[in-house]
Amino acid sequence: MMPRTNILGAALALLIAGAGNAAEARPASCCAPTALSATTNFTDKSLYQSDSKWMTDTGKRIKLGELKGKVQVVAMFFANCQYACPIIVNDMKRIEAALSADQRANIGFTLVSFDTKRDTPAALAAYRLAHALPANHWTLLHGEPDDLLELAALLGAQFKEDANGQFAHSNVITVLNAQGEIVYQQLGLNQGIMETVRILRQLAAK
Amino acid sequence: MLNIGPRIYLATLLASVTVARAAEPSPIGMALIPDGVYHPFFLAQNDLKDVPVKGFWLDIVPVTNGDFLAFVRANAQWRRSQVKRIFADDAYLKNWMDDLDPGTNAPAHAPVAFVSWFAAKACAQWKGKRLPTAAEWEYAASAGPTRKDGENDAGFKRQVLEWYSKPAPARLPPVGTTRANFWGIHDLHGLVWEWVADFNTAMVTGDARGDTGLNRQLFCGAGAQGARDVENYPAFMRYGFRSSLRADYCIHNLGFRCAKDL
Repeated sequence: MMPRTNILGAALALLIAGAGNAAEARPASCCAPTALSATTNFTDKSLYQSDSKWMTDTGKRIKLGELKGKVQVVAMFFANCQYACPIIVNDMKRIEAALSADQRANIGFTLVSFDTKRDTPAALAAYRLAHALPANHWTLLHGEPDDLLELAALLGAQFKEDANGQFAHSNVITVLNAQGEIVYQQLGLNQGIMETVRILRQLAAK
Repeated sequence: MLNIGPRIYLATLLASVTVARAAEPSPIGMALIPDGVYHPFFLAQNDLKDVPVKGFWLDIVPVTNGDFLAFVRANAQWRRSQVKRIFADDAYLKNWMDDLDPGTNAPAHAPVAFVSWFAAKACAQWKGKRLPTAAEWEYAASAGPTRKDGENDAGFKRQVLEWYSKPAPARLPPVGTTRANFWGIHDLHGLVWEWVADFNTAMVTGDARGDTGLNRQLFCGAGAQGARDVENYPAFMRYGFRSSLRADYCIHNLGFRCAKDL
């Protein structure tokens, strides 16, 4: 990603105080409730502030906040991916395997699909079976397009569906602490999992 | 002469149909962008060449400081002192005097800037609207002042380019002062950059090998082979700009406008 400062170029031009014409604000046209609620128990930087709604592969409706309490290893993927996702999921399985049973008890693994059309909860359940993802540690989530855009935004990930129904996407594995704050991101494929494992061991020990 | 009756009847019928369509209530401050086709500026190997865009309503001007003040008045969690850091970086509404006072640096009729994607999205939602998609925005913005295919209007292209080459003024001018385009929309070029709903799908590498490929594809000379019109520098800049954003960024010349389904 390009450093922000390049884009800003002229941003440093400071705002000059001057005679303004700050007129009366116009009244609101209408008042739909906003998506994000003001009163939550989550920290300022917690992803769990998000009001997005998801469905697990067992058909349970959840909000991200329900993942609170355990450290989470999160990645976005899609089940039909021919290239990168199997590597991402495999990385996550290797990470899981590198942890002790005690550590694993405090760490969850969450996969969220970009593919709102094909990756229905049932399709995700089939994926779980095919990839032997244990029910007690792994959460598979299906969501609506708007919520996916928001989650991708929160994770700093980009994705785009192409004409063949494949998704080009960032390859990111994100570690969230028990409060849902991003503490580490493993970027790119084949970067090695050891740094992620080291951070998880630290977090699990807390 | 026998035919006149039915003819008049038919004419009346047609007229009433036309009137009925024209009378379709258009949301205040919005203009209709009819069905069309967006030709993506940048094409990866497997991208659709033409993206159909369904008709939609689009705000005639960007959201102003005055509009945004009404939003934060009604939604305390979006006030500068209360916003959650995950949804907006520390530049959020930085040109405002205070939580509920835009002050002289952010005149009521100037476009709101220093707002994150999350804030823009929440404000649009509160208004019963949404952010336009990149395809919708680009389609609307491709119209020049006199024709919908602005790409074939050399004068329009030159003007857009001129704006892109100038830094944004410290204090933004009021909305609605640039010339309206073919659809009656102002300020798509010439005032501020604007958030779109799917800014984070603007650009990724075709082969998904990593994030850094983005800028390489865009800005290296060979990358231009994927571009539809290599002389369309403004489109290069918009695509590059969008792909460099993160959703919590608040920037001095980045605002938004809202869209709505028909």
